[in-house]
Amino acid sequence: MSQDNRLKSGGRIDRSKPLYFVFNNVSYTGYQGDTLASALLANGVDIVGRSFKYSRPRGIVTAGSDEPNAVIQLGSSEATQTPNVRATQQELFEGLVASSTNGWPNVNVDAMGLVGKIGGKMMPPGFYYKTFMFPQSLWETYETFIRKAAGLGRSSYENDVDTYDKINQFCDVLVVGAGPAGLAAALTAARGGARVIIADEQSEFGGSLLDSKQIIDGKPAAEWVSEVVSELATFADVLLLPRSTVNGYHDQNFLTIHQRCTNHFGDQAPANQVRERMHRVRAKRVILATGAQERPLVFGNNDLPGCMTSTAISTYINRYGVAPGKNLVVMTTNDYGYQAAIDWHDAGREVSAVVDTRANVQGRCVDEMQARGIRIISGSAITEVHGSKRVKAVTIAPINADGSAVAGPAAKWKVDTVASSGGWSPAVHLSCHTGSRPVWKEDIIGFVPGPTVQEQLTAGGINGCYETGAVLKQGIDAGLTALQELGLNEVTVAVPSAEDLSRTPAMPLFLVPHKKPTSRAPKQFVDYQNDVTAAGIELSCREGFQSIEHVKRYTALGFGTDQGKLGNINGMAIAANFQNKTIPETGTTVFRPNYTPITFGAIAGRDVGSLFDPKRYTAMQPWHIAHGAKFEDVGQWKRPWYFPKAGESMHDALNRECKATRESVGILDASTLGKIDIQGKDAREFLGRVYTNAWAKLAVGKCRYGLMCGEDGMVFDDGVTSCLAENHFLMTTTTGGAARVLEWLEIYHQTEWPELEVYFTSVTDHWSTMTISGPNSRALLAELTDCDLSNDSFGFMDWKAATVAGVPARIFRISFTGELSYEINVQANYGLHVWEQLFAKGEKYNLTPYGTETMHILRAEKGFIIVGQDTDGSIHPHDLGMSWAVADNKPFSYIGKRGMAREDCVRPDRKQLVGLKTTDPLVVIPEGSQGVFDPNTPIPMPMVGHVTSSYWSENLGHSIAMAFVKGGLSKMGEKVYYPQADGTVIEAEICSPVFLDPKGDRQNV
Amino acid sequence: MSEVINHNGKIVADQRPADDIAGQSPLHHADLNSLASQGPQTGGVTIQERPLQGLLNLRCNKADKKQVTAVKKLLGVALPCDPLSSASNDDSVIRWLSPDEWLVSVDGAKAFELEAAFQANMPGHYSLVNVSGGYTILEISGDHAVDVIKKSAPIDVHQSSFPNDKVVSTVFAKSGAIIRRIAEDHFELIIRRSFADYLWIWLQDASREYGLVVKR
Repeated sequence: MSQDNRLKSGGRIDRSKPLYFVFNNVSYTGYQGDTLASALLANGVDIVGRSFKYSRPRGIVTAGSDEPNAVIQLGSSEATQTPNVRATQQELFEGLVASSTNGWPNVNVDAMGLVGKIGGKMMPPGFYYKTFMFPQSLWETYETFIRKAAGLGRSSYENDVDTYDKINQFCDVLVVGAGPAGLAAALTAARGGARVIIADEQSEFGGSLLDSKQIIDGKPAAEWVSEVVSELATFADVLLLPRSTVNGYHDQNFLTIHQRCTNHFGDQAPANQVRERMHRVRAKRVILATGAQERPLVFGNNDLPGCMTSTAISTYINRYGVAPGKNLVVMTTNDYGYQAAIDWHDAGREVSAVVDTRANVQGRCVDEMQARGIRIISGSAITEVHGSKRVKAVTIAPINADGSAVAGPAAKWKVDTVASSGGWSPAVHLSCHTGSRPVWKEDIIGFVPGPTVQEQLTAGGINGCYETGAVLKQGIDAGLTALQELGLNEVTVAVPSAEDLSRTPAMPLFLVPHKKPTSRAPKQFVDYQNDVTAAGIELSCREGFQSIEHVKRYTALGFGTDQGKLGNINGMAIAANFQNKTIPETGTTVFRPNYTPITFGAIAGRDVGSLFDPKRYTAMQPWHIAHGAKFEDVGQWKRPWYFPKAGESMHDALNRECKATRESVGILDASTLGKIDIQGKDAREFLGRVYTNAWAKLAVGKCRYGLMCGEDGMVFDDGVTSCLAENHFLMTTTTGGAARVLEWLEIYHQTEWPELEVYFTSVTDHWSTMTISGPNSRALLAELTDCDLSNDSFGFMDWKAATVAGVPARIFRISFTGELSYEINVQANYGLHVWEQLFAKGEKYNLTPYGTETMHILRAEKGFIIVGQDTDGSIHPHDLGMSWAVADNKPFSYIGKRGMAREDCVRPDRKQLVGLKTTDPLVVIPEGSQGVFDPNTPIPMPMVGHVTSSYWSENLGHSIAMAFVKGGLSKMGEKVYYPQADGTVIEAEICSPVFLDPKGDRQNV
Repeated sequence: MSEVINHNGKIVADQRPADDIAGQSPLHHADLNSLASQGPQTGGVTIQERPLQGLLNLRCNKADKKQVTAVKKLLGVALPCDPLSSASNDDSVIRWLSPDEWLVSVDGAKAFELEAAFQANMPGHYSLVNVSGGYTILEISGDHAVDVIKKSAPIDVHQSSFPNDKVVSTVFAKSGAIIRRIAEDHFELIIRRSFADYLWIWLQDASREYGLVVKR
């Protein structure tokens, strides 16, 4: 297809670089420098999508991020699918493939269109709420159907092939927007020595100046832009970010910028390059120079392709060399709308007329039109547009002075393009993100930023200032203010000269009257993307949804991916008018981040896939991998879970590991346990205060188990602490509790007991810890150490310094299995060496590596608790039957003492930890099962506690379990029942949780 | 164990075996030597591991003049008492970690000697803990070293805010690092053993667009 709408010359495109692209399965050609939208318009593509609810054909309306209709699906392959891309922002590249996000089977013949036409009358606002919510049970069915019909793009079914990342930035001044105000502000700040970031969502800097014929400092505006950009680029501390949307303005001047780094090169980023980057900016000052967006006028059938904003017409002509039609009619309420007629005429196309809603049109506009022989029809409006897939004609009628009614006979004009201008809406969005409400300014007929607590300045169009000279001055002033506030260099910057045109007052008009009442007139669209009409807004008010926030939710005004950039002001003005209120009385909805949709990729950055969460490894990890370990997540640690041999099930592997440990020797990598070095003359006293048990008499060379409680008396950590020397201890904590315990000790030391001389240092990662356990552990260790291992000189709960496999080590004779055990600690750089040496000597003892699951079974056979599994933050030591680990007679109190003495904590019927033996020894009760004393009581049965740990014990030949049972410690031998989801009931007998070797003979040998 | 010194109720011991047993740094499995010899030789980011250094965590009271004097005598460098600062000489670097905490690095073989010297000469309440096995040191340099740090840590690395010798302990990706600026384009990262693999993958990834050179 040829580019019929492409002008012979002009625009910032490179006609020597044609680009081929596909839209809705049709091939087209555009040029380097085009957006997808400008290329589609050049090729005369009128329909780019179908509307959300009524499925009406829709065309391109604007040339920027405010575009409501040209929201497309991008991607030539499944992996590169990107939904909801605005064609007006997507730069054209060779081989671009895009399609409409809605419209099936295609946008030109749409099955839903018929439904829309028939259903339109029956689908008032609130239709979904009213209809599909009843019966509620069917909502899921409805939803599937509605979503299919609505369709707003889809994500890929495959993994994204591109890389997205995040970067942290700091600056003195962040300038948002690189139009005349932003460039002037940035240049001023940069000259004053500030660290500046200037970001703009467009592919090149310049903003409105890129499609302007203005002269600045005696040169074309675009030339002035390129000079400023060149100068900015010379500053080392200035970061220029084109293609970067400042999407969120958060508290403390923290802003997020979404940079599209390589989206203009192709579907996929070039090798090793990042597709999109999220800048997380902390700025001392923010200068919002975001400009203003043009409001389209609201009139009958104003959504027909061919209806555009007047600035869009100028932009397509001047920036892209595209005149998107043959005959233009302009409707405007203000002087600015005339520019479209001037540009259209000067491009050699026909302007049928400018329809000005104001009765008296004077000044420069009249001269410009007369010079071109363009007719002005004043005091009139286009009340309705005719056509089915493109504008074919318009109805023009005189209107009364306040624009509330048609005042005379209408005439029909044949045109194919309608430009409308309802004036400017300052782009106040970012200023609203931190809670500031915009303020209505009558003289500019628009909202401007309200008072804010942020360090924020504004310049240019966002303030309702639209004349280039004045805008440049505001930019410079904002830059100077920032410099002054930050105490940076004072600079003098001359305001560039620019001709500011005198303008005559605009007319406030938000709904063009029709000879029929709004409810009977052809649809007058306010929010294109959500198919919100003027009639819908009035209906909402009639039905009692009158607050603007209610109107918004009732009609979906401003809910689309465009966040109502075009429609919000018109919509709230229509609601205000209908209720005979002023716009300030009605107020406005406010904006939230993000300004434009952002990809999930940019939000996630590199925190995806293998980098989603850190994986922590011990020094022995390579060995574990080489020996086929299955891993379990314990916090961020990857701990070996079990080590299956070829052909073994998990059950088989666990049985083998358990038996080998009890019969000969097993080994566990326990390096993940938290370890804290504690030094100082008051270390012992400190331990006595944070643990529930006594530490005063723990001798040098001895180890002791301790329970740690919160102030509420509930257990939160446990572990063995060893006395290395009189003033020197090594505390071990649970794997998951390591960081929390260190923090806990520091908090208590720094805030409660700073007088105690004690220091804590984490040594978790410094020591590799391996536990050999089982009757042959002594024989194995003896082969590798110079240490006397005899029971007399190295008893249970002793520790010794010795050499193991040539490496200096600390050996702790402590046990979590109930077997003879040695926990060997060596400096982690030598951990793997010692581990391998143990295996080198271990073969004859059938040294068996085991993981966390076997550890769990072996400790449960001994009734040892695991904090976090057999406790849940509501359990104190007495509940656990561990009163032996509580010393209430210590001279100084300990954390948790008062807590566990509370009335509720001493009830006899508290849930207490007991052992369970199932009546059928082969049945393993599912963990989490709730117990009842009488399974025959009616449902809901009184529940008496749950099973916390439950395993098959190969060593004992029956199942074992630990459970909380109300008053369980005094119910030994009684029955408790566990009803299951399948209706069966498991019967068990309450017993001691110590199933194996209650006297501890095995660990004391 | 070769030697355990008990003094004032605290012990220190040489934790290193004889030289015939090679230590393995937390990035041993990454085989940086092969990457250094076989990988690219030019790029925007250069990473070099300083494995098996001696790292000692010192806690003492900066208001105690005797302690401050003793530290200077023992290390030959004054204790850096300003927040986020460091001090160094040819043998050691002392990094401020918190108002009463410093990280000292020395040659791996000299750690025990220094610990013993502290035992003998450091007055008052203090602790000096050998944490050499718990960390490794990476140096990152090159034109884009700054960008890699900016991608990883929420700190301002501009020279005006992060001059040479400044030290920051902060979030690094989803782990942490002690970052010290050695020169304009040259930083030191001290990272924990258990997170080293994750951070090494992260650093390679963050450097990819600039080209990564691994140096021995």
